[in-house]
Amino acid sequence: MDLNVDFAGIKLKNPLVGASGTFGYGLTYEKFFDLSLIGGFCTKGLSMKPREGNPTPRICETPSGMLNAIGLQNVGYEKFATKKMPKLRKISTAVIANFFGETMEEYIELAAKLDALEGIHGLEMNISCPNVEKGGAAFGTDIRVTEAVVKGCRAVVKNKPLIVKLSPNVADIAEFARACEGSGADGLSVINTLVGMAIDIKNRKPILANVTGGLSGPAIRPVAVRMVWQCYKAVKIPIFGIGGVASAKDVVEFIMAGASAVQVGTMNFVSPDIIPQLAEELPELLVRLGAASVSELVGVAHGG
Amino acid sequence: MQCTVTSIQSLAAGFFHLSLTPEKPLGPITPGQFVMIRCGESTDPLLRRPMSVADFEADGSRLGLLVQIAGRGTGTISRLDKGDQLDLIGPFGQGYSVPPEARTIVIVAGGTGVAPFMTLTPTLVSQGKDVHVLLGARTKELLLMEEWFLHAGASLHVATDDGSKGFDGLVTALMMERLDHMEEPPDMALACGPAGMMRAVAALAEHNNIPCQVSLENSMACGFGACLGCVAHVRGEKRYVTVCRKGPVFDSREVLI
Ligand SMILES: Cc1cc2nc3c(=O)[nH]c(=O)nc-3n(C[C@H](O)[C@H](O)[C@H](O)COP(=O)(O)OP(=O)(O)OC[C@H]3O[C@@H](n4cnc5c(N)ncnc54)[C@H](O)[C@@H]3O)c2cc1C
Ligand SMILES: Cc1cc2nc3c(=O)[nH]c(=O)nc-3n(C[C@H](O)[C@H](O)[C@H](O)COP(=O)(O)O)c2cc1C
Ligand code: FES
Repeated sequence: MDLNVDFAGIKLKNPLVGASGTFGYGLTYEKFFDLSLIGGFCTKGLSMKPREGNPTPRICETPSGMLNAIGLQNVGYEKFATKKMPKLRKISTAVIANFFGETMEEYIELAAKLDALEGIHGLEMNISCPNVEKGGAAFGTDIRVTEAVVKGCRAVVKNKPLIVKLSPNVADIAEFARACEGSGADGLSVINTLVGMAIDIKNRKPILANVTGGLSGPAIRPVAVRMVWQCYKAVKIPIFGIGGVASAKDVVEFIMAGASAVQVGTMNFVSPDIIPQLAEELPELLVRLGAASVSELVGVAHGG
Repeated sequence: MQCTVTSIQSLAAGFFHLSLTPEKPLGPITPGQFVMIRCGESTDPLLRRPMSVADFEADGSRLGLLVQIAGRGTGTISRLDKGDQLDLIGPFGQGYSVPPEARTIVIVAGGTGVAPFMTLTPTLVSQGKDVHVLLGARTKELLLMEEWFLHAGASLHVATDDGSKGFDGLVTALMMERLDHMEEPPDMALACGPAGMMRAVAALAEHNNIPCQVSLENSMACGFGACLGCVAHVRGEKRYVTVCRKGPVFDSREVLI
């Protein structure tokens, strides 16, 4: 069975990639399996400077999902490049650098650095980060700001595929997908977490110190599948389907909706070896569905 | 890792002990380390639950958990029967570490906080140390594993909030009393239990210049360093550490409890 996928020029040996913020810098998972068994992974969101993240509590379980307000804690570009990259270069899997900035300048500066960093196979822009210059509204929820930041990064990313990770917290995601494609994106990641919250009824206050958090896990899968479906109709560039993938069936569901590959997030916490497990189960399911490759199923649910 | 339940025993209302045999030995375990257990096969509840390893074989070929029913996950586990399967991963984290030169040790445990000390106490006693175990609970019925500690060769003192057995009051008040009784202050204090109790033990230990280790029970999504959800605040710094990886056992002066 051919599981190989060429995602906007990133060679994946299977369509299963670890999602940003759930996969550390990859190395955390080495004690569970050989990283060369998976298609690739997206790093924890990187910023120019290290970030300490939000106060606690940062997480809360919800029905078939969880809320997180980690606050984009990360080691920063320098430490990533000097401490993590030497180890990652020795591993035969695609390393996608997820990154964000608090200002337009930070996005562009970091994009240029990651484009030049040896061993990075692709860049994934997280545009769900609050824009400090615009009163904290996310870059990814104002279409003009989205276009500007994607164009800005595109201009400096010359060697590697540039993927934009869309925020689902918008009225019409297809409009954002088109704007990204029009601004030079090579691929899309759909979706980031949905804004949610939970209240501690005994203490009469929000559970998360940050009040709101990002909802992830199987609970969001139907929303994510719908958004992949809408984006597939809107653009030609490849799409990573993301949101609650927990089984080989879910992988196929995203692919049929229009994803060229999927990312697995929250379920890594529950079953740290879920990605290699899915890679093992997927061929069997594809055979049962009468498919000879992953690529022939991309978008089939849309009909001929 | 699939484990077979070899026994499940009720200890007091809402508390039970679970004995497990993993399909393959888990490898070496340090008291204070924990495992992440899956509560059923469904995605609701979704996340694994952290549980300290209580009693165990050195190579991890058998382990015991001491569980308090706190909600849905632990409720599901409480209904397991002998012969059933339980899925867990681990052991994870850094356990208690007692330096060889420490001669006198005070252990303070509340509720299921006795778990990490079940194996540690006899080990410390066998090393010739003078071990004082202080157990606290609301009532005498809720004092866990008293017999075990009686047989472990430590000097045992119990406290109950309602005075139904032993010292009448909080285990921290008992600790204060014991410290007064001791000719020399202990070389080390080890605590595990509710956050309020550990905070009080740490304050008391610090006041008396006794190094103290505590085990934090922050909520965890993964247990192995991937989510950054479990962090504790480093004292005096604007920095966090992962409880699952750098802890759960910390020097009490290092983190905010
Ligand atoms: C390192 C470590 C070691 C541990 N070791 C042990 C051990 O040895 N033994 C042991 O018994 N426990 C131990 N714990 C604690 C144990 O993990 C928890 O009790 C367990 O996760 C509870 O799961 P549950 O599904 O039963 O309860 P949950 O349903 O998750 O609820 C737990 C508690 O939180 C409250 N709660 C849940 N949601 C809300 C909400 N929205 N608002 C207000 N309150 C809420 C519930 O009322 C309940 O009291 C340990 C924890 C850690 C981090
Ligand atoms: C704890 C946690 C941290 C995350 N951090 C990031 C991040 O730094 N950057 C990012 O683009 N997405 C981040 N995400 C979003 C995931 O990559 C993914 O888009 C989302 O969780 C949905 O997928 P899932 O349901 O499979 O988890 C995070 C998710 C979780 C649960
Ligand atoms: S529980 Fe996930 S990092 Fe500690």
